[in-house]
Amino acid sequence: MPIAIGLEGSANKLGVGIILHPSSSTPSSPHDSAHSEDEAFTSKPTSPPVQILANLRHTFVSPPGTGFLPKDTAAHHRRWVVRLTKQALKQARIQLEDVDCICYTKGPGMGAPLGAVAIAARTLSQLWDKPLIGVNHCVGHIEMGRAITGAENPVVLYVSGGNTQVIAYSAQRYRIFGEALDIAVGNCLDRFARVLNISNDPAPGYNIEQLAKDGKCLLELPYAVKGMDVSFSGILARVEELARRLTTTTSTNPWLDPDTGLDITKSDLCFTLQETVFAMLVEITERAMAHVGAQQVLIVGGVGCNERLQQMMGIMASERGGSVYATDERFCIDNGIMIAHAGLLAHGKGFETKLEESTFTQRFRTDEVLVNWRD
Amino acid sequence: METILLPHLGQYPLQVGLFLDVQNARYLRQQLLDGNTEFEYAFLDAAVLLSREHVLAACFRAINDILQGRMKSKNVHSEIVFSLSPNNNISECFRRFGVGETTKNIVAIKVDNNASQIQEHLQNHVQGQIVPFTDETLASLRDEARVRKAYKVDSSSNEEAEAFIIGSMALKGS
Amino acid sequence: MPRALSITTHNASLGEAPLTPEWHSRTVASETAAHKMSFTAVPTASNSYQLNDSNEVQPLHSLPPPFTTTSSPGQTSSTKLIRQGAEALLYYTHFLSPSLPCALKYRPPKSYRHPILDKRLTRARILAEARVLVRCKREGVSVPAVLGAGWEEGWIAIEWVNGSTVRDAIFGRKTWRQENQASYEGGEKDLVGLMHKIGCAVGKLHQVGVIHGDLTTSNLMLRPTVSGAEGGEEPSATSAATPFDGTITLIDFGLAAQSSQEEDRAVDLYVLERAFGSTHPEVEHLFPEVLKAYGESYKGAKVVLRKLEDVRMRGRKKSMIG
Repeated sequence: MPIAIGLEGSANKLGVGIILHPSSSTPSSPHDSAHSEDEAFTSKPTSPPVQILANLRHTFVSPPGTGFLPKDTAAHHRRWVVRLTKQALKQARIQLEDVDCICYTKGPGMGAPLGAVAIAARTLSQLWDKPLIGVNHCVGHIEMGRAITGAENPVVLYVSGGNTQVIAYSAQRYRIFGEALDIAVGNCLDRFARVLNISNDPAPGYNIEQLAKDGKCLLELPYAVKGMDVSFSGILARVEELARRLTTTTSTNPWLDPDTGLDITKSDLCFTLQETVFAMLVEITERAMAHVGAQQVLIVGGVGCNERLQQMMGIMASERGGSVYATDERFCIDNGIMIAHAGLLAHGKGFETKLEESTFTQRFRTDEVLVNWRD
Repeated sequence: METILLPHLGQYPLQVGLFLDVQNARYLRQQLLDGNTEFEYAFLDAAVLLSREHVLAACFRAINDILQGRMKSKNVHSEIVFSLSPNNNISECFRRFGVGETTKNIVAIKVDNNASQIQEHLQNHVQGQIVPFTDETLASLRDEARVRKAYKVDSSSNEEAEAFIIGSMALKGS
Repeated sequence: MPRALSITTHNASLGEAPLTPEWHSRTVASETAAHKMSFTAVPTASNSYQLNDSNEVQPLHSLPPPFTTTSSPGQTSSTKLIRQGAEALLYYTHFLSPSLPCALKYRPPKSYRHPILDKRLTRARILAEARVLVRCKREGVSVPAVLGAGWEEGWIAIEWVNGSTVRDAIFGRKTWRQENQASYEGGEKDLVGLMHKIGCAVGKLHQVGVIHGDLTTSNLMLRPTVSGAEGGEEPSATSAATPFDGTITLIDFGLAAQSSQEEDRAVDLYVLERAFGSTHPEVEHLFPEVLKAYGESYKGAKVVLRKLEDVRMRGRKKSMIG
């Protein structure tokens, strides 16, 4: 029964996961994991369940008004990787001999943090004499999403701080149908949070979402959908302007909603931004669905945790007679288990990353990976 | 005269008559200015009309705008005249497209379903000869220079120009 | 204690079972003025229903006012749904006269969007398409005419173009060749002629400062040429008719924009090139003829062709940071 360790650190989350892929002959049995929230997830009847033996994560949170810098993030990952790995092994209650391979995020992502994790993976691989598997971060998200939700062949919306892509599977590739032309949607949200000094704990996007729930006034932002692609830099520039305006608003210099006469608040800006960018994402997803004739949508990536986005996607999908699949924060947000899972799938087909080739790269397109574990 | 039903607006039939060599344009115009309730008509100067389609496009726009709550002039008949114009200047529009003191050929339109009553009324009050409302006749009555000026086109005698004009009418006010 | 374990706010994973389709009432908020004479409020956007095999009510499609098909006197033309895209519904109907067929494009409201945003977008998109078409018409680019538009209600009525799409014409060529084996010896001359026509048509469009945004062989029509002022004359007995006779007319400007940027023009061509590659791989080798004709069609076209090389190399290789 193949077991893999996965190490993820392409941005500010360090994740260590340990996964078990039962071989088809052995009956599935729920495994008692030390992590109380994890269970054996059963996907659709056709595929055997994967078992999550450990899924730990530690996030490097920068102070409000700042973003996380590569150097500091790498240092954080170096500080935590040994501890998390030891803890994961303890929770999984496995022996070294049980581990089949060490999977790590080859890319895409931020250089220094990726490098810190790659070094850790190489070290483990040499220390324990286990093969290394370099994994594409996006493919990790997609495969984990499929396994958890059971979505057979969905159009995938992958949205995070570093990525925004609409993907559909075809002939052993995850093909990119549409994407952000400049910055990722999560990046747009994070930078907006900075201007308004919104806390980064647990994540800026999460706090924007909570504030947005109290928002009522929809201001006007540029809506930039170009065919199947989207663009966020214009929106960011405009919403930053609005945010700056808010900081200069006082009782003697008010900013009022023309319809209600109430003060424009932080919540209104959060609401405006979410409604606009999420509508754009749902639109390009719908276009892809119509183009390929898909009925299912799978949302993965950190921004995929957002319940408003999930709700909007659900409305769109149900109007087409389709359905939307999403996971919770254990799997939406960057984690090590998805790297272990995708890595083990590839390893099962004989894939291995030689030590000399165990590099990392900031640019690694989703469609570069040969998805030979699917037909 | 002719009863024309616009597809999708069939519950608002148009009674249309083309009158040649009208002698009492001044009188007709005065009735409109006075707001004489017996003269609720759209009187269009045939010299600036390109085709049946051109006229019907104006009628469609006018009726639809009223139904959607966007009327810009006083009533549906003035709205028809207004819809011929590529811009929002109402008085200029009536000068260019409506009946003037010396207008010779007039298209009269009423949105109503009582065809015979209207035909009788118009024949009694319009001193002109009623002829079939056709593209050929309209073409023969057209004043190219006035059309060019009203719509700012180089020529009005080709399909492209007419299509452009109808398109401009559709976009008016956007 | 690792921070990860303390996040417990979210529910368990979604989506084991598909969400039940909810019926959203699509009434378009419209103010209808009750005019003194005889104008009663026209029903707002109506929804046609059908019962499926299990006798469940399913939404069919919807129409904006005044096209809602409550029967009106003298209504002989029926409105037929031709295509249901992601963004818009395309209907065949008549406009202004029972003998004037038209394509009615309707952008229905999208429930997932905030209503204000939805209205803003629909309005902007209908207007953009109408304006581009009217502008093209004015400049002599072969496009269908705009007959009417209701941008608040989300519709545009466009002249119905007769003829076939280039896509169908190319597919049909095989059959045509088999049938005309004896009489036609032109080799690929007919295809080359078609490619030249396409290149010229796109060139003219770009020259006027418009980008189509979705150039595929389904959006290029071959409209039978009308010789003479009205109606066709008999085709000359000596000229052989080929499947590619007619004038190239561009349709579906739903993604069009007004731009003169070389980059945008190059991307327009690239989309067409890829469309040929994926839909008509057997004639793909003739695509350079399209570019040749394009390059000669206006001053500055050659620069766009050079830009196209850059676009090809980039493909979709844009920078990504994890």
